[in-house]
Amino acid sequence: MRPFRFTNAKDAASAVRSLTGNPNARFLAGGTNLLDLMKEDVERPDELIDITRLPLTQIRTITSGPNQGGLSIGGLGRNADAANHPLVRQNYPLLTQAILAGASGQIRNMATNGGNLLQRTRCPYFYEVSMPCNKREPDESSARAGCGALEGINRMHAIFGWSEKCVAVYPSDMAIALAALDATVNVRKADGQERSIAFADFHRLPGDTPEKDTNLNHGELITAIELPRNRFADHSYYLKVRDRSSYAFALVSVAAALEMKENRIVQARIAMGGVAHKPWRALKAEQLLVGKEASDATFRQAAEAEMAGARPLSHNKFKVELSNRSIVRALQMAVNGGKA
Amino acid sequence: MNDNNKVTGTPISRIDGILKVTGKADYSTDHPVRNVAYGILFKSTIAAGTIRTIDTAEAEKAPGVLAVITHRNAPKLNVKGGIRGGAMLQSPAVDFFGQHIGIVVAESFEQARHASRLIQVTYDEAPAKVDFDKLAKGAVRPKDKEDEKRGDAKAALSTADYKIEEVYTTPIEHHHPLEPHATIAEWNGDQLTVYNSSQIVNGAQNATAATLNIKPEQVRIVSPYIGGGFGSKGGQWANLVLTAVAAKVVNRPVKLALTRQQMVNSVGLRQQNVQKVSLAATKDGKLTALAHETTTHCAINDEFVEPCGDCSKLMYDTPNSLITYRVVPMNLILPTYTRGPGKSTGSFALESAMDELAYKLKMDPIEFRIKNEPERDPSNGKPWSSRATVQCLREGANAFGWEKRKPEPRQQQEGNYLIGYGVACGTYPVHQRPSSALVKLKREGSTVTATIELAAADLGTGTYTILAQTAADALDLPIGNVTVRIGDSTLPPAAGSVGSVGAISYANVVNDACMKITDDLIARSGKQYFARPTASQVMIAERIDTFQARVDSKAPEGADDYSSHSFNANFAEVRVNMSTGMVRVSRFLAVTGAGKILNPKTARSQIIGGNVWGIGMALTEESVVDPRWGNFVTRSLGDYHIPANLDIGNMEVIFVREDDTISNRMGVKGIGEVGIVGVAAAVANAVFNATGKRIRELPITPDKLL
Ligand SMILES: Cc1cc2nc3c(=O)[nH]c(=O)nc-3n(C[C@H](O)[C@H](O)[C@H](O)COP(=O)(O)OP(=O)(O)OC[C@H]3O[C@@H](n4cnc5c(N)ncnc54)[C@H](O)[C@@H]3O)c2cc1C
Ligand code: SF4
Repeated sequence: MRPFRFTNAKDAASAVRSLTGNPNARFLAGGTNLLDLMKEDVERPDELIDITRLPLTQIRTITSGPNQGGLSIGGLGRNADAANHPLVRQNYPLLTQAILAGASGQIRNMATNGGNLLQRTRCPYFYEVSMPCNKREPDESSARAGCGALEGINRMHAIFGWSEKCVAVYPSDMAIALAALDATVNVRKADGQERSIAFADFHRLPGDTPEKDTNLNHGELITAIELPRNRFADHSYYLKVRDRSSYAFALVSVAAALEMKENRIVQARIAMGGVAHKPWRALKAEQLLVGKEASDATFRQAAEAEMAGARPLSHNKFKVELSNRSIVRALQMAVNGGKA
Repeated sequence: MNDNNKVTGTPISRIDGILKVTGKADYSTDHPVRNVAYGILFKSTIAAGTIRTIDTAEAEKAPGVLAVITHRNAPKLNVKGGIRGGAMLQSPAVDFFGQHIGIVVAESFEQARHASRLIQVTYDEAPAKVDFDKLAKGAVRPKDKEDEKRGDAKAALSTADYKIEEVYTTPIEHHHPLEPHATIAEWNGDQLTVYNSSQIVNGAQNATAATLNIKPEQVRIVSPYIGGGFGSKGGQWANLVLTAVAAKVVNRPVKLALTRQQMVNSVGLRQQNVQKVSLAATKDGKLTALAHETTTHCAINDEFVEPCGDCSKLMYDTPNSLITYRVVPMNLILPTYTRGPGKSTGSFALESAMDELAYKLKMDPIEFRIKNEPERDPSNGKPWSSRATVQCLREGANAFGWEKRKPEPRQQQEGNYLIGYGVACGTYPVHQRPSSALVKLKREGSTVTATIELAAADLGTGTYTILAQTAADALDLPIGNVTVRIGDSTLPPAAGSVGSVGAISYANVVNDACMKITDDLIARSGKQYFARPTASQVMIAERIDTFQARVDSKAPEGADDYSSHSFNANFAEVRVNMSTGMVRVSRFLAVTGAGKILNPKTARSQIIGGNVWGIGMALTEESVVDPRWGNFVTRSLGDYHIPANLDIGNMEVIFVREDDTISNRMGVKGIGEVGIVGVAAAVANAVFNATGKRIRELPITPDKLL
């Protein structure tokens, strides 16, 4: 860890101001990702601004605006509290499942909702500073420029949307559910104004700038995550496939949410984790499902339509068929209200 | 005292349990040492070559830094002193990625780590041998491992009615004990005290002394508690002596703990093994040939080969047998002993092949094994001191409900899950190693207390407890009156807690010492007794205040005329998710013949620990090397997947009764290693029974079952 200055933010305005003033400063929330990265010398901030005391932890029903009747989840609330809140459990069980599929009990007690969205990739080359990594070393003249994973050990890496510069996947489980649920992220800007970012526009594909995980600007503070009202609560499921039963990142995960009328699919949302640099909305599959009767054959068709666009790497070809099956399974489970 | 009153063999809880759960048990770096400075190792970022330049100027100027030690200024050490794995800063040569190339000492850990990142190193890189798949073709016979042939296995194979010839692979695995390797070194003049987790206390002492060119009497190893080791703390590695070097340089005590990331290339590993097993049998299931050919890797300049063929030498009766090893030196850290060395990995290959052949023969795998049960040790013709394989299989089959197993795969399904049963056997040799022990008795009024002292090790397995039990019975004292002192090289020398020799060697020497002190007391009293009195009765009657006795024990005469081993049978039930390929071991049963069980509770925990690691071997654990650069990409416990609680279903342990005093007078056999042997094969066999897919490449991750 490099030496750094540590301050406690008194209020959101001063937190944003301090951060904006110093390009090498970072907000400190639960610290479960940032501190690990600092210990490994991947992140090298010279100032940490602790925001955990800011009063942005509430979970409440939204009473006005476009998401009226939906739910607002404070950016600094803890993952465990969000997962277990009665309104979340009742109206957005997909989110509860996704959060609880991630990390461990201890980490979920520390981790915040905003921090979770901003957790960085688990690519092992990103984590080891002696390895080439464009995400960590975006400067092309750096001795460590390049992508270690592109032709290296990339079993865990992307099959959609990657670029020659970076093939990493985004690790959050929570965010996969949020993507399926069409959440928006509310942020406070440097000028004190608020802006809302649609979830699909929050995270980025790597393109030529893999160092940028999201479209959040330096200095912007996540104040809340908003969930619109929906009719998915009876038919949703989060499926996470991993190398061990808990405490492992997804090989592939699927957040599936259906609105059903009898056995007919009225609306469908599918988002996938472990396959891209951002939560991957399976829009082709969704389109194919709408208006159809729920059946294994339809599910398989929808999955294959989506996966036809996959571009696997040398070690992760299995992810294509695994995704097919996972989409089918998640949809089956969603139809049955989460029961096998 | 009659047997019913004995505390040995009863399931008492660990006597050091309270200390541990209240944080009062001092592990190596917990020892309060005044004025301690902190060291951190820094490592090479290439796998082969030499250091051209190493610029430490900025680090030396960094706040709090006391010293930066590299090959340029490190004192000369004896690299053949018994420290494993090299990396002792004696030359600019780099032999593997992540080799120690220096140490920073500072006032605080954070300052040391910060400074270590300011060091600039340039290298002259040489081509690195790090791609095992490519190099394996060039593997050669190890120096100390002749091919072992009985009969002509190849000929028998070529004419066999039924045969299997398959290749089974296991990846690199790491020990990753909960407590990473950690040391405090403190010099007092030319006397060195080292607080260091050591499975072999005297071994650590001797290796440290020899490497530092001082006398063993000048080195004291203090290692009362060990947070796991699994072989990685058996031999000692450079981190120990480099801490002593650092303490000398800064003239202060130095504390140095490896980080989890550093563990992957600092303290050995279990190597990757490619094992070809060929079995031949007659129509009615009598084995006619068994060949087990292992190809593996070792360090570029030092050989260590896991004996993967060991189980195959003696598990089954066959007239023709062939055991071979081929090894390729690579730019990776030296492999080392890892729980059930050779047996856990070798049994995966052998016992998978047995299952494959049983299936081909349409025989029940249990009956197939029993049919080939050898009457004597086939490898040397010696009689068994005892062998419980058949009993383990029969009792296990009963307890597990083996009759419910469907011989054909994919016949048992529950919802989205395929269910399968698997069985596999294992074995591990039994040896009593020379050890000494001191018993001290003290009387206050009519209360006698005992202190037992020997340089034994407790890896967390229960050594303190079983020794207190042994001594309490041998002296006829309440267990609360017995204090056990171990883990200190100033105590009488003892064997290590390695190779499953710990409990055997320690329990016997402590029992012998207690017998001797009783004899000595009787002799001293000068009286004739109608019935043999206990030590405390003599102490009290003769008003003796303190008394002590020391013995040196070794295996009994004639022990070597027999083949002595623990044996087991493992039963696994797996549930395989048909959609995702995720496997869960829902039930596991280990039935073990391990002689006298000193404490069924700690013994059960030992077996379960081995079983859990075996399940990890089967399903999750794998250290991955980048074949371009020789670095491990699995550097944390987030990437190296040891099983989590949710991976482990219902675990059951049965010990079959065995009364075998041939290899040692107490009739104890080891349980430390045998618990992992045969486990991975039982799981893999169950996966086959569930899915019809034979996975010969561990670990069985979901992608392999799609
Ligand atoms: C061993 C381990 C296993 C894990 N397994 C999983 C898993 O299986 N699935 C999963 O989803 N996650 C997993 N995680 C990740 C975990 O969920 C994240 O570390 C956590 O959610 C991050 O939240 P935090 O509050 O601790 O963030 P921090 O570490 O405090 O911050 C992360 C980043 O976000 C920034 N930040 C934080 N809050 C805000 C805000 N309000 N506004 C703007 N910027 C902000 C910080 O500056 C920092 O750059 C695992 C973590 C560990 C250590
Ligand atoms: S995949 Fe991305 S994060 Fe990983 S090494 Fe390549 S650039 Fe770095």
